[in-house]
Amino acid sequence: MAEVILRDVAKKYGQLPVVHGVNLTISDGEFVVLVGPSGCGKSTTLRMIAGLESISSGTISIGNKVVNDLPPKDRDIAMVFQNYALYQQMTVYDNLAFGLRNRKVPEDDIRIEVARATQILGLDPLLSRKPFQLSGGQQQRVAFGRCIVRHPQVFLFDEPLSNLDAKLRAQMRLEIKSLRERVPTTSVYVTHDQVEAMTLGDRVVVMKDGWIQQVGTPLEIYNLPANRFVASFIGAPAMNFIEVDLVEEQGKLRANAEKFSIGVPEPQASLLRKHRVGSVTLGVRPENVHLGSPPVDTDTNFVGEVAVTEQLGAELIVAIKSAGSAIMASRIPPDTSLAIHENVSMWMNPKSLHFFDAKTEAALR
Amino acid sequence: MMAALGAAIRRGVFSIGVLAIFVLFVGPVAILVLTSVRPASGAYYIWRGTTFTLQNFVEVAQQSQVMQAMFNSFVLSTLATIFSLGITVGSGYMLSRFSGWIQRSWFATIYVFRTVPYISWVLPLYLVNTRLGIYDTYLGLLLPHVAVHVCFFSWLMKGFFDGINPSMEHAALIDGCTRWGAFYRVALPSAMPGIAALAILCWLSTWNEFLFALILSGQRTPLITSTMAQFVTETGTEWNLMSATAVFAMLPALLVTVFGQKYVIRGLRM
Repeated sequence: MAEVILRDVAKKYGQLPVVHGVNLTISDGEFVVLVGPSGCGKSTTLRMIAGLESISSGTISIGNKVVNDLPPKDRDIAMVFQNYALYQQMTVYDNLAFGLRNRKVPEDDIRIEVARATQILGLDPLLSRKPFQLSGGQQQRVAFGRCIVRHPQVFLFDEPLSNLDAKLRAQMRLEIKSLRERVPTTSVYVTHDQVEAMTLGDRVVVMKDGWIQQVGTPLEIYNLPANRFVASFIGAPAMNFIEVDLVEEQGKLRANAEKFSIGVPEPQASLLRKHRVGSVTLGVRPENVHLGSPPVDTDTNFVGEVAVTEQLGAELIVAIKSAGSAIMASRIPPDTSLAIHENVSMWMNPKSLHFFDAKTEAALR
Repeated sequence: MMAALGAAIRRGVFSIGVLAIFVLFVGPVAILVLTSVRPASGAYYIWRGTTFTLQNFVEVAQQSQVMQAMFNSFVLSTLATIFSLGITVGSGYMLSRFSGWIQRSWFATIYVFRTVPYISWVLPLYLVNTRLGIYDTYLGLLLPHVAVHVCFFSWLMKGFFDGINPSMEHAALIDGCTRWGAFYRVALPSAMPGIAALAILCWLSTWNEFLFALILSGQRTPLITSTMAQFVTETGTEWNLMSATAVFAMLPALLVTVFGQKYVIRGLRM
């Protein structure tokens, strides 16, 4: 059973705390992604699991064994680094065999294991080359190979795709997924890229400033963000945020801003009345902002001036000046003609409105 | 037209500057070599004389003191390099990879020794050597030279190790190495060009060193740098013989530099 459990794990550099009490249970075989902006503590947390950083307080256990005082080599883990970290002076074969040789595995068994890893990752023609003779993608595959030859309990990934170009990154994402099928192992994956988080993780852990903001499946995080930060971090283009005042008008709750007024639909209206808040932040994702008029009256219309259009081929992304700032709308048909400064009427999908407390930024649900 | 003239003037000034630097460095060596092939009478007007001789070299080679000094310098340089390498490489690695009070204390110690003027070491060292009975021995010269190497070249090694990505060693730690194993099997092989550069610098600095050679050695273990100075006598300076000795002394250094040059450049470029 290769469960990884973090209990109140914290890290301080001198007096400076970088990771605050992290509590996380990763089940056997689960692929968990730690995602967040630079400096949020995700890499530090990963390195504490690996044993490359000391743990200031709390415990980490791997497979029911507390590993706080164990050196990395005794934790039965394998790690893939952002810059591959291949042994530059050794051939690919020796890179793959290094870990097994350290554990005094007989050469014949080493040959079998390396052959298996080579076959899974397609490294056959590269075995006698040295790392500097390989491309970025090939080097990363060798790094994966170095992990799987040892059959560890846990795989750790530290932003492995960040050094690759966009196209190669998309390709390697698929390779990681297929690797998961062939070698299912408990995995902890760190990235700053929310696309990788959404596509690869069974569960996603969003971190900021050393705190866990939310833990959930990709869809949970996307549809039910716990706070404004998670809502803004996940999803591209990013969610729109509009500061609105809530006023009662003729028995209906309205969200008003500068030249902007929409009716708050149920069940959110009752919820917001219960919270008794005056100002909130309204959040709506660009794909839920549409051009023109809704098929049925939703009371979520607004008008604005076209500020910028971005043509992507498959869709048009438009920034509309309204409510005192710019509201982005995406998934507009690409052949729609819109002129800058043109006044357009837009509407929002009432089922996909989010409300956040203006001060605490927590989602109001 | 004005732009072309300006460019030509700039090129001219640049060329003159390069020529001046060339003359500054090569000039003394040229004078040295020229003096070494002139007879004693011709030492003061080397440019105008027409007699050339190799007699100076023969005379110097026959002086056992000079040959002994060459041999001693060679042995000392080689030994100092071997011992220095071990300590300096470790010191540089420690400064690069570790933090904490031990690293800071070591850093401060090296720094203090570097800021003290070099010449102020000789008198205390003379006293220490005579007290310990190692004055005018290999050991008495070896220890100060190793200390100097460690203090001055730890920085260089730190720089080399800073240029090697530490994730390789982290990967080695995860792959089953101890801290020593990661250093010895992963970091050290990658630092080889830097270590080669370091070895050449250590060797040359000991070979060329004059102050310790003058004060800390005597008749038993003469070194080539101080032996050359002995041609300055009360009756006059035998420039021709001194120059011939200097040419002899330059040869091993020249050989080492020529062969090691590409390693030094590669190492300094890291």
